[in-house]
Amino acid sequence: MIVKDLTFSYAGNKIFDNFSVSIPQNQICTVIGGSGCGKSTLLKLIASLIKKDGGGIIFEENEKGAVSYLFQEPRLLPTENVYTNVELVLRPSIPDNKKRKERVFYYLNRVGLFEDRTKFPSELSGGMKQRVAIARAFAYPSKLILMDEPMQGLDIKSRQVVLGLFYDLWQKDPRTTLFVTHDLRDAITRGSSILALGNPKKPVDFINLNHFKPLDDEKYGKLENRLLKDILAY
Amino acid sequence: MNKILNAIKPYFLIILSIVVLFIIWQLAAVALDSEILLPNVFSVLKSFVGLFQTKDFKMDLGFTVYRAFKSFVIIVVSGAIFGVLGGRFKGIGLWLSPLLTVLKSTPVMSVILLAFIWFETGTVPVFSAFLMAFPIMYLQMKTGYFSLEEEMNQMCALYGLSKKDKMLHYVIPSLTTSFVIGGKQTLSMIWKVVIAAEVLTVPQFGVGAKMQLSQMQLETGSVLAWTMVAIVLTALGDFVFFFISNIIKSIINNKKRTNAL
Repeated sequence: MIVKDLTFSYAGNKIFDNFSVSIPQNQICTVIGGSGCGKSTLLKLIASLIKKDGGGIIFEENEKGAVSYLFQEPRLLPTENVYTNVELVLRPSIPDNKKRKERVFYYLNRVGLFEDRTKFPSELSGGMKQRVAIARAFAYPSKLILMDEPMQGLDIKSRQVVLGLFYDLWQKDPRTTLFVTHDLRDAITRGSSILALGNPKKPVDFINLNHFKPLDDEKYGKLENRLLKDILAY
Repeated sequence: MNKILNAIKPYFLIILSIVVLFIIWQLAAVALDSEILLPNVFSVLKSFVGLFQTKDFKMDLGFTVYRAFKSFVIIVVSGAIFGVLGGRFKGIGLWLSPLLTVLKSTPVMSVILLAFIWFETGTVPVFSAFLMAFPIMYLQMKTGYFSLEEEMNQMCALYGLSKKDKMLHYVIPSLTTSFVIGGKQTLSMIWKVVIAAEVLTVPQFGVGAKMQLSQMQLETGSVLAWTMVAIVLTALGDFVFFFISNIIKSIINNKKRTNAL
């Protein structure tokens, strides 16, 4: 996906000013930056949730179409159970009830919530709710996945479980993904590229890691220092 | 015995409070020593039980319940529709706001007296109840509509939920809480207005009409007995409403659970 000459202002502040960047397809690109630098705004602009003032976003052929969005909060329908929360988003694309049920069951199994499928959101923990949101995001036949700090507010253990599940599902079904995070560790270990925001005119940094293997301590430390400098620079 | 005690335990304070109220009433009645000013508890209870054996009791009760029920259906349906429309369309909300301000600040008695000039006796309680209770239902539903979250609308749009699915699985269920609260408050208001209107207009049958007749004959015990009937009706109405809404909720939830199996 190519973000080209993107311009967007909010309350008189230029968040993006002829901003351009290229996001590799079928990879996870983590997005970091200080508060208010436009991380969530970039995702909203890509998903057309807000209107840009200028410029454009050019999608690759296999990126055109529906978007799965993982919000900071799980945004589950409060009066529907786990099963229906996932099943509803499949209705337009899979009219056959049996096939739809199979797909829902498959993803609920993958996120370990099959036994909890009759429960309502009020009966689930924060981590479980976010797992439902992940099942919904992957079950939905989307071309892009946009993640706006979905692990925020989860305890360390739940966070690791949810991230692990996401990563497993993603490896089985890779789609171009933008993952906004405040956690440098997540940014380095989960992303195959890292985009640092802060300067409205251009990316503060764009690091192409091109690997999925764990980094050694030295390389990891260097990367962490570099990203820290990127964030502190703006 | 233990079972009975355990069942009563949560309601102990309520029961104790009722007993204390009756004791205060009885002490006041003994002190005043006047059946006209304040009859004693036992004579009122006797009158209350005696009401059930009177010839017209079923008709009085039936007509009051019918008027209340008719008002309730008209108000919850119209209040829900206009409340949602008022929330959804700013223009409708603004258009209705002066009328609602007038209705909210008009004394019940003025409404009943005016309605008595305009309509026949039986219609007055229904019309008055509508004017008094419609704002309650309307405002509750309008507030409910405002509380629908923009974030959830975004989610529905991003995940391609059809309009029908969004209505059935998000909008309507989210408004149900407001509907139930509004319905409950409306019902409480309706009993009061319907009976007050019956007192003033004295239709052939009705709890309020009988209260008025008793008052004219200085039968204070009978007035209090009919008041007890009104209290029981209100409590029973609340219970039936709560019971029905819980049954509907439980049926829907069970259906949803079955679909997931």
